[in-house]
Amino acid sequence: MTDDEGPDGGVLGAALDRREDPSLLTGEAKYTDDITHDGMLHMSVVRCPYGHAKVERVDASEAEAHEDVELVLTPEDLAESDLPGTLESIGMMVPKENWPMEAGPAEMFLPDYPLLAGDRALHQGHPVAVVVATDRYVANDATELVDVEYERLDAVANPAEATEDDAPALYEGAPDNVIFDWELGDPEAVDEAFESADHTVDIELEHPRVIPDAIEPRATIADFDPLTEKLTVEMTSQNPHHHRLWLSNTLDYPEHKIRIVAPEVGGGFGVKIHHYPEEALTSWCSMELERPVKWVQKRSEAHMTDAHARGHVTEASMALDDDGTILGLQADTHAALGAYVSTHAPLIPTGSYGMMLPGPFDVPAMRVNVIGTFTNTSPVDAYRGAGQPEATFVIQRLLEMAARDLDIDSAEIRRRNFIPPEEFPYAETVGNMVYDSGDYEKTLEKALEIADYDQYRQRQKELRDEDRYVGIGIASFVELTGLGPSKPGVPGPLPTFHESSLIRFHPSGTVTAYSGTADQGQGHKTAFAQVVAEELGVPYEDVEVIQGDTDQVPQGTGAFASRSAVVGGNAMAKSAEKIVEKATKIAAHQFEADEDDVVFEDGEFSIKGAPERSISMAEIAHEAHQANAIPDGMEPGLDATTFFDPDAPTIPFGSQVCIVEVDPESGEIDFLEYVAVDDCGEQINPQIVKGQIHGGIAQGLGPALFEEGKYDDNASLVSGTLMDYALPKANQLPDYDVECTVTPSPTNELGLKGIGEAGTIPAPTALVNAVVDALEPFGVDHVELPATPEKVWRAVEKGGEQ
Amino acid sequence: MEFNGSFELEDVSIEEAWLALSDPRMIEAALPGCQFLVQVDGDDPDFDELAAQADDGPDEEDLLPNADPEVVAERAFEDGGQYAALIELGVGSVKPSFETIVTITDREFPVMNAAGEGSASDSSFEMESGMELHETETGVRIDWWTETDVFGRLARMGQRLITPVANRVVNRFFSDLESRLQPESDESQSDGYRNRVRSLFK
Repeated sequence: MTDDEGPDGGVLGAALDRREDPSLLTGEAKYTDDITHDGMLHMSVVRCPYGHAKVERVDASEAEAHEDVELVLTPEDLAESDLPGTLESIGMMVPKENWPMEAGPAEMFLPDYPLLAGDRALHQGHPVAVVVATDRYVANDATELVDVEYERLDAVANPAEATEDDAPALYEGAPDNVIFDWELGDPEAVDEAFESADHTVDIELEHPRVIPDAIEPRATIADFDPLTEKLTVEMTSQNPHHHRLWLSNTLDYPEHKIRIVAPEVGGGFGVKIHHYPEEALTSWCSMELERPVKWVQKRSEAHMTDAHARGHVTEASMALDDDGTILGLQADTHAALGAYVSTHAPLIPTGSYGMMLPGPFDVPAMRVNVIGTFTNTSPVDAYRGAGQPEATFVIQRLLEMAARDLDIDSAEIRRRNFIPPEEFPYAETVGNMVYDSGDYEKTLEKALEIADYDQYRQRQKELRDEDRYVGIGIASFVELTGLGPSKPGVPGPLPTFHESSLIRFHPSGTVTAYSGTADQGQGHKTAFAQVVAEELGVPYEDVEVIQGDTDQVPQGTGAFASRSAVVGGNAMAKSAEKIVEKATKIAAHQFEADEDDVVFEDGEFSIKGAPERSISMAEIAHEAHQANAIPDGMEPGLDATTFFDPDAPTIPFGSQVCIVEVDPESGEIDFLEYVAVDDCGEQINPQIVKGQIHGGIAQGLGPALFEEGKYDDNASLVSGTLMDYALPKANQLPDYDVECTVTPSPTNELGLKGIGEAGTIPAPTALVNAVVDALEPFGVDHVELPATPEKVWRAVEKGGEQ
Repeated sequence: MEFNGSFELEDVSIEEAWLALSDPRMIEAALPGCQFLVQVDGDDPDFDELAAQADDGPDEEDLLPNADPEVVAERAFEDGGQYAALIELGVGSVKPSFETIVTITDREFPVMNAAGEGSASDSSFEMESGMELHETETGVRIDWWTETDVFGRLARMGQRLITPVANRVVNRFFSDLESRLQPESDESQSDGYRNRVRSLFK
């Protein structure tokens, strides 16, 4: 097998170089901010400087008088406009038992999400007015000419403090700041497990807020054409069709008159899924002025207003036998959702966290309570890993504490608790979710072997005698990927979960394939071309992939929940199948043979047993368009559309082993080894898979080591810039050994599982487990995230007293 | 955020220090970045108007130890009085100009407390501060404290820098005060001058 060939000798599964890279890596790719239009204006946003404030008065007169300012829009203008004034409320459901197979309607407090803060601004950075000017810098400066009078109010940023009696309430209708109070599992079974257990461990922890930083901040160009009445919006979107529907409702403007284009998008990781005020405001300005208007987010705006992630305060405990077998698990978590309920927000701490708490382990009794709370912060929503880094951290910190107490090796306690391979498909999960396939131990054994685990355990002992502190951290995980099916959705403008594809043969025999999902650098164009080329038996070079344009792609869902390959890729395969079906009929007609006697292999049609006479797929495509030698009654042309709705999500898995040396004097952490072994089923392109794991680990180690989105007591963001929020640099991260095992998913034809978030999920747990293991001689049993040198040093100083 | 500290002024009497720290003109001169400081009625003065009316700041002759102590005592901060100040402050890359209103909440020798609010175009702060003077063998010790909340751009971009900036401002203020009050010649140290200041407190 070479890089040009997959396991079966075809292009599917080949580690091809990405066809996107020449333009992405040379900087020639066009991102939203690279685009200009004739007569284009620039919008800048006046934002509330306080975590919580009454907006008493907005005086735009001085800004309006500026000669280069074309428009200022205030809450008063919004009230007088025809716009509903609030963002389309998505209100993603809180899952019930049996999710994702079934879900009930939302049981939560769902407030309006105003485009501009009229009476009250509920978080720092909430838009209060917008200024449009002929120049980006003038627009920015002119925001300071808008005179806004605020009365500052008390604010709360911590999700647990938000529910206390003396906390300021964000909404009259939710006096305790509770959005939902979600409980799952069997409390009685858990009580029994804890009563009968030989051993219990418990932990209180905070999973800090993380601020996602895509290299390209959010940006929008809205261009309203008054003659055609068409609104074209170029924007940083992971899901253009969703954004079209949401914008249509928010602007009260018909969906067929809106075109969303996602040009090259420089990273998303979740942040560019959601529906925010700014794209709608840019569109409103363009419609008012009948000119193109551009808005490009500043980094500090990104930190204040992009949806953040994590932000949990948790108490959890585990009951075990004295041989380390898990008997029960319970967790009580306060999850900050911010000042408004963002697009997928309620789903993340419930479906993606609460239901995923058991991870790869057999947990016979479990109970979880999640209280989603309003806080005077930017909304919190999905970000790479989405709930599952938090879940992995909870159960595997507990497991590690138990292993130490019971004197069981870290690897061994995992082996004893993994769901065994013969149990799949496994449905004994707390939400009755079905884990499709797995061999969890295989990834662990392989990771241990690569890391030379036994040798390091030995070395660890020896080095301790020299006052050197090496620690080994293990984290095994599972992940919910490839969302759908669509069934659990409730009526309303919810995100869809199916995915569309359209494959169209040209008369010359080349192909254009359209995908409903849109990438932000993941390499869809390469991967989907591989699927299409393989399934249709045409050269890879003959396949062009189009995505990210609602006027070109008939319908679509988008890139989130590691679903593009699984759902989008299988949608491609299904359309290819439909084309082969029609092409077979045409071939049979040409051969004057029975359809059942025609075979299709390596892109050639022939009659069974007579391979010497064959017709290529390209020739059939030509015939289909020529339409003078096709069966009577058959429509000309050769294309197919599919809306693929998977029966179930897919559950990839893996193990990471992190080996560090910690300096107890300074708290500094040195990486010695970092091994990730992942299983995402079959792979379309192993090079892309590895790339996803590499980036994923970096985004997991960032919050493990440095990153923390911090608010002060007034809910003012302290980590507002990249000077104050530490993204990891390349030289601060280890070299990774990345390997894969292959356990195909039975849920889809291609046998795929998602891989986009797999690197991120276990990384914080692996790192902290390693640091705590290194510091065992000092009696350290936990270090909070992020494990900064200061925290590590303090943990050493406190030792067993903490 | 809370800050506090002590500053010792050598060869300055407690009464001199008290009178100097009670003098709006002295504060205006010694506080880094202070453009003007004037007494106002109410908490919503027109800063543009105040800036237009403001002079170029006090001369040496207007301030202690050169000024007439009775004149200084006359213009001293009033308990309950409100004062407007324009203060420019550089915190990292942020250089806001704060329109500040300070209320003297409590002033009784040797204790003075104040509350203030300042707002710039994209940042603001709220603070409560106080000081207490103590006579020492060699001069006077000023124990000061302040509790402050910052908002907006300053909070977002500068919080990690605020402590060093606050320390710098406070140190420069007291150093400036000390250099002004410290006797340079035997003349200013004359018992006559000291007695005149002291007599104000009787």
